[in-house]
Amino acid sequence: MLEIIVYGAVTSAIYAMLAIGFTLIFGVARILNLAHGAFYALGAYATFFLTSVGLPLIPAAALAVLFVAGFGVLMERYLVRPLRRSQLAVLMITLAVSLAVEQALFLVFGSEYRNVPSFVGDKLTIGGVDVSGQRMLALAVAVVVLGGLWLFIQRTRLGSAILAISQDAEAAQYMGIPSDRIFSIVMAISAGTAALAGLLVAPFLTVQPSMGLLPMVKAFAIVIVGGLGSIPGSIMASLLLGYSETIVAYLGSTSWTELVSLVAVVLTLLLRPAGLFGRRAAF
Amino acid sequence: MLGFIRYLLACLAGFLATGMALHSSASLAQSGKPIRIGVPTSIQLQVGRDTQTAISMAIEEINAKGGLLGRKLEMVVADETENPEQGIAAIKKLTADEKVDVLIGGYTSGVTLAQLPHIARAKTIYIGVGAASPAITQRVKADYEHYKYIFRAFPINAAYQAKGLVDFISGKLKGEMKLDKIAIIGENAKWVQDLVPILKKGATEAGAQVVLSEFFDTATSDFSPLLAKVKDSGAQYLIVILSHASSDVFVKQWYDARFPIPIGGIDVKSQDADFFTRVSGKAISETVGNFAVRAPLTPKTIPFWDAFVKRAGTAPVYTGVGAYDATHIYAEAVARAKTTDPDAVIKELEKTDYTGVAGRVVFDEMHDVKNGPGYVNLLFAQWQKDGERVIVWPKEIATGKMIAPPWMQ
Amino acid sequence: MLRIDKLDIAGAVIVVAALALAPVLIGSGYLTGVLTVCAIYGIWAASWDFMSGLTGRENFGHALFIGAGAYTAGFLGTKFFADPWWSLPASVVVAVLFSVVVGFPTLRLRGPYFALAMLSAAAIMQRLMLIFWEVTGGEEGLYGLEPLIYSQLYYYWFVLGALVLTVAVLTLLARSPWGLLLRAIRGDEATCQASGINITFYKIGSLMISAAFAGLGGALYAHYQLQVSPPLFAVVTSITVIIMVYVGGMGSIWGPALGAILLTLLTEMLRGFGEYRLWIYTLVLILILFFVPGGLLAPLWRRFKEAVG
Repeated sequence: MLEIIVYGAVTSAIYAMLAIGFTLIFGVARILNLAHGAFYALGAYATFFLTSVGLPLIPAAALAVLFVAGFGVLMERYLVRPLRRSQLAVLMITLAVSLAVEQALFLVFGSEYRNVPSFVGDKLTIGGVDVSGQRMLALAVAVVVLGGLWLFIQRTRLGSAILAISQDAEAAQYMGIPSDRIFSIVMAISAGTAALAGLLVAPFLTVQPSMGLLPMVKAFAIVIVGGLGSIPGSIMASLLLGYSETIVAYLGSTSWTELVSLVAVVLTLLLRPAGLFGRRAAF
Repeated sequence: MLGFIRYLLACLAGFLATGMALHSSASLAQSGKPIRIGVPTSIQLQVGRDTQTAISMAIEEINAKGGLLGRKLEMVVADETENPEQGIAAIKKLTADEKVDVLIGGYTSGVTLAQLPHIARAKTIYIGVGAASPAITQRVKADYEHYKYIFRAFPINAAYQAKGLVDFISGKLKGEMKLDKIAIIGENAKWVQDLVPILKKGATEAGAQVVLSEFFDTATSDFSPLLAKVKDSGAQYLIVILSHASSDVFVKQWYDARFPIPIGGIDVKSQDADFFTRVSGKAISETVGNFAVRAPLTPKTIPFWDAFVKRAGTAPVYTGVGAYDATHIYAEAVARAKTTDPDAVIKELEKTDYTGVAGRVVFDEMHDVKNGPGYVNLLFAQWQKDGERVIVWPKEIATGKMIAPPWMQ
Repeated sequence: MLRIDKLDIAGAVIVVAALALAPVLIGSGYLTGVLTVCAIYGIWAASWDFMSGLTGRENFGHALFIGAGAYTAGFLGTKFFADPWWSLPASVVVAVLFSVVVGFPTLRLRGPYFALAMLSAAAIMQRLMLIFWEVTGGEEGLYGLEPLIYSQLYYYWFVLGALVLTVAVLTLLARSPWGLLLRAIRGDEATCQASGINITFYKIGSLMISAAFAGLGGALYAHYQLQVSPPLFAVVTSITVIIMVYVGGMGSIWGPALGAILLTLLTEMLRGFGEYRLWIYTLVLILILFFVPGGLLAPLWRRFKEAVG
């Protein structure tokens, strides 16, 4: 029982960190970014690369996040922005970017699983449950990042501008908010958090060129369940899916867990298409 | 509708006949040209790279001795990825376009199974060196006339691997270490589904108790729920069966949680020589069934191993060992048959008794490599201090004692 | 009533003739195989385009119908040992059934929501194929199917015929009043509804037609590969088809079919690049998607026609 609570919390936290950037960039810029999984993979690989050339872990991780954030900004600026009039064109171009990143990782690093060293090597015991320190670190960082992001959006001028655009892009523009600059900032945050999630889980999950695909589908599912563009919704949905999957894995079988999020998506779309906290109806 | 099609086909048959005539004259003029070895494999993976390296090593050796029937050997590679559609396209490319004399390669059982009918239709000999599903060679038994072209030189099939594992459980775990509660977890793949029932039956007959047996999805990246279940089951030893799933991740999570149950079994990625360093030493005390390691298994093992390392920079994975032997086995069969005609070569291949890198290779009536003492066999090697691999089973060739995980000593 | 351009007819005849004769002239059995796969992808792309290109609802789960058709052929062939020709009608029926079951609840959804609902439905089927491996053969799928026509060249011509038929039927439908209505729904669904048109009927109808041809293609595929496996249901299959449509030019039916042939040939031709093959393919894709977001083939042909006449 306690195991479910602890492990469910870790899974949910990672999902939340993945989904938050995905929902943010959609809410603000209406970009359904299918390259979000590629950012996650790039974060892990950049950390792997930098540590293997001898950089200490923490600076390597920081550089990796910056690198991926920059990559995201460049992608948004030069590939996505010119096509933004058509949602499908954006979808397709980000999809192609994610495929190209995956293939590039294959070519540079090969198909083998790579090892990113643990930030924390020790094992913790919480109420009789053995958890690796790295998992608890991932949980802690996720909570801090999500909290920080919330404060940033609620308390700063820039945050209010982001919020304003996501609520009514046109009105925000009339108010003189420079939407293109805001898009770049949000893209940087979105790519950066995805990279951070990737490098935090890298020591205990997979580091492999196609590692981004599954988290991508998960993020998509969470965002649908929570309501496209809603930040509290995606956090709720992360908890819901994270815990449901953990419960299914413990009480049922691990081979059923991948079904959970898919079924959740279908049920949401059938019963409440706007998602838990969605403002816009889906039909 | 059908009538119309037949009419259409009749019209076009004329074109076809002309095309065919051109074709057959081209293939007659082939003697004197090199003998071509087609290699369908996943070129992006280590198994694929090592297959190619090993085959070119064997080809160079044979060519250095004057080639085969006065002809040189050469290699043509086609990427089969891990996808059946690409696998079939690779076979068509090699057989119909490149017109190879033999195919040596393979990795994923699913792809190989999909390729079989296409190989049979192309009437080209295929020597598998990567896929372990027993279903592959069962086709030979079920329809010999059609599928006689299929051979497997490596690895020993999943059913034999299960027998090897049962032997390890009953001899080592139950017999020597007095452990009788076993948990089994395996990835959800064909060869594992073939293997686990045999394993469960064998272990139970040996007097061990299988307290848990579960399949998990190959996409699983978080093993903590599974490990928690194993812990709750009261098992004393955890048998894992993995090949496509993330062994690296599994071992790391096992180590990071200081999981209080030792692990071992068949773990294809853990057969890699660099596995230990790849997971920063977290594979310590994992005992893995290997098909070949650098040990004097036969007079050829160590020379091959060292030559391979010199050339590729890394130790060979199992497909490298198999592909090297398979090339020599084919060459010897052709030399005995004095032709590359598939039917004659198949007759000679069936008589194969070849001492290879991993042991003696003999094909059974299903064209599958035989297994057992003296033949190619499963050896259990344990990762010990500093990434040294110590053979702990079978007893006759053991090179050291089995150790417990550091946190359980 | 239907305005058929002479230039279109001439172009179609030349392309079909070239495709039909290519394997004979070049004399490669390998090319025959590649072109067979090309033609099957062509059927899938054209069928996708009929529903999604016309109504503007991007179906990210076309693999559901493809897989349903292929697995129907697989089950018939390996479990019931039925005559292979039964696969074709059976696959069509099963794929249409799937489209009805999935279509009613999902077709009211818009944009990304419909896309994702379909994507999830296909992905769920893929998972189920893996979970119930005792019945479905699991990862390795079902194998041991009989070919429909033993000669590869004849089979290729048969599949090419099916492609021509698919494109012809779907083009006629798209140019009929029915197709016009579908395009109108794309433009403004609310107005269509207000003017008394039963849009649910039209949308379901177009999804059923789309699924029928996808299922047919699935069966043709199964009897070419002689096996079926879970990747058929995968997201990647749907995405591959959508990319083909996109490159061909959405909404033109024949464009996507040619786009499919072009891209399948491209992946095979890039084999010479070894490991770099798929990477080059994705880069080419980015270039096409970026510079000609409206598609490559159909707009190009339109311009050519303008220049000529």
